[in-house]
Amino acid sequence: MSTAVSRRSTAPTPAQERNRPKPPTPQIPPYLGLAVLAVAAFYFFFWTWEGNAVLFFPLGDTLLWVPRDPMIGLILMLVALLVCWKLRVSPMGAFGGLAIIAITYWAGSNIHFVDRITEVPRRLTGGNTRDQLVGYFNPDWTYLLFHNVAGTSRPIWGEWLITLCMAVVATIIGCFIGLLLAMLASPVSSLNRGTSQTVKAINSVVRSIPDVGWALLFAAFLGGTAYGLGALAAVLALIMFNIGIVAKLLSESIDAVQPGPLEAADAAGANLIQRDRVAVLPAVMPSFISYSLYVFELNIRASAALGVVGVAGIGGELSRQIGRMSQGYENVGAILWALVLVVLMVDLLSLWIRRRLL
Amino acid sequence: MIKFENVDVVYPNGFRGLNDINLEIHQGEFVAIIGLSGAGKSTLIRAVNGLVPYTNGTLTVGDTVVDPRNKSKLRKLRSKVGMIFQQFNNVGRISVLNNVLIGRSAFTPTWRSLIGWYGSHDREVAFQSLERVGIVEKSYNRAAALSGGQQQRVAIARVLAQDPEVILADEPVASLDPPTARKVLGDLRTIQRDLGITCVVNMHHLDLARDYADRIIGMRNGEVVFDGATQDATEDVIADVYQRPRSADDATQVQGGAGLREDAENATEADLNGPVTGSGNDSERKDIA
Repeated sequence: MSTAVSRRSTAPTPAQERNRPKPPTPQIPPYLGLAVLAVAAFYFFFWTWEGNAVLFFPLGDTLLWVPRDPMIGLILMLVALLVCWKLRVSPMGAFGGLAIIAITYWAGSNIHFVDRITEVPRRLTGGNTRDQLVGYFNPDWTYLLFHNVAGTSRPIWGEWLITLCMAVVATIIGCFIGLLLAMLASPVSSLNRGTSQTVKAINSVVRSIPDVGWALLFAAFLGGTAYGLGALAAVLALIMFNIGIVAKLLSESIDAVQPGPLEAADAAGANLIQRDRVAVLPAVMPSFISYSLYVFELNIRASAALGVVGVAGIGGELSRQIGRMSQGYENVGAILWALVLVVLMVDLLSLWIRRRLL
Repeated sequence: MIKFENVDVVYPNGFRGLNDINLEIHQGEFVAIIGLSGAGKSTLIRAVNGLVPYTNGTLTVGDTVVDPRNKSKLRKLRSKVGMIFQQFNNVGRISVLNNVLIGRSAFTPTWRSLIGWYGSHDREVAFQSLERVGIVEKSYNRAAALSGGQQQRVAIARVLAQDPEVILADEPVASLDPPTARKVLGDLRTIQRDLGITCVVNMHHLDLARDYADRIIGMRNGEVVFDGATQDATEDVIADVYQRPRSADDATQVQGGAGLREDAENATEADLNGPVTGSGNDSERKDIA
């Protein structure tokens, strides 16, 4: 080893220099084309600029297609092109970079993102931010441990248990149904292409409705958000949420399963269910366990977000405390810090389980 | 036992895998199929159990005609026809015993497979198969934790658990080192002879084919170009199958690359065949897909 290193010279000989391939340089014409494209985008931005806007789309108080300060956009795009050229990115990659910058610039200026974000310091110093921060960093633990939910005899810490129970039930049911749907959704394990496409379509519908949306729907179906039904609506919403995630992720894992063992099961005369059970399931089991644990963690967090809709569990208490704001900063702080702790603990637990099982 | 009558295989992309094959393989024969990569060896073997549907002609195994369109009949056929693969195709994460029990799938009710509760008869069959290939002590090890040779034995045990009348082997020893390859192939030969199973094996290693097979079939471009007893497969015949004098070709390679001479002289048979089998298998896979 050492001799090989000591024999190594610092510079290549001329002969070696001649033999080595030169680094590939991107073609100039495509880059010139991209520069033209950048200028064209700039011209579009300039044309629709607020001062001389010809093309705009009024949405009430908001105007679409009226970017601010188009010059900044042009400079950003040209700099990106230059960097891509220096890094020898292929024209297609540079085009991707250009497109990302142009679209981000356009989208950001449509929602006046830069204008609004420059207001943030003024808003922060103007309001009661200081009181809030003091409250959040001095959480009232006695509230969390010894107080009851306002107007009831239920302790606050009991709400945590309800949240955990909701998460457990939703995870187990949701992941099981998600597993079945994933099997049906992947062309590898499904009955036929038609079934796979149909189930995929159903999955994307389930996924496109957010968890809060499902909670509102179920609360509406089941009648009201009274305490008894609140937990049920939340659990059903979480189940749908979990089905969406697990079915999507797991069906992609199934797509990537090694085809060999499946062929072996086929060749042994196994039917579809047997093949999926003996060859597909063991192969995706680690992913399935990982996803399930991740989904459990998501459920605890999501049930806090679902509180806004007025369901049971710690989320409901959180939204009540946020509602009474000026008196509740310490309480909100206690709940949020406890949430961080619980999620951290669940994360550690799932890490431990994963190590044990896989 | 296995009878090809004017069998064609045309893949969906228009590639002609087999062209007018007429063959009869008898009960209890050990047949080696040789030929270049892409010659149609895998296609021939996979047509027998319907993994590749043939498009024309008649293919009979025993008394049953292979019907690639009838799934349940195909499953019944596959229960009698075991298959061994180059990459073993064991399920790595489950135990050796459960891998062997996959071979019992066709004889087990679906609900038993589903909850993984196999009957005592099935378990007995699986254990006896493992005893026959000599790795019963590994029954409860994870299949992925075994060496290549042991994994291929698990695959053979899985096939034996089917009580097969025919064993198809698609390059069963191509990913094993030469001594292990001989041992595994020798075991397969003994088992085949003991149980009177018909065995069709794809091979790249000519000398292995000569040592173990009763009969050699040479294929080229989807057609059978040689079919005869092992002792009739002379050097000339083999050269005709491969369409090139093997030794001369190797010689020019050694002369051409002066810097490689040392390696070429020390190369084992596996070194010479390895890359060829690897790429060959890939291209065949693509054709099948």
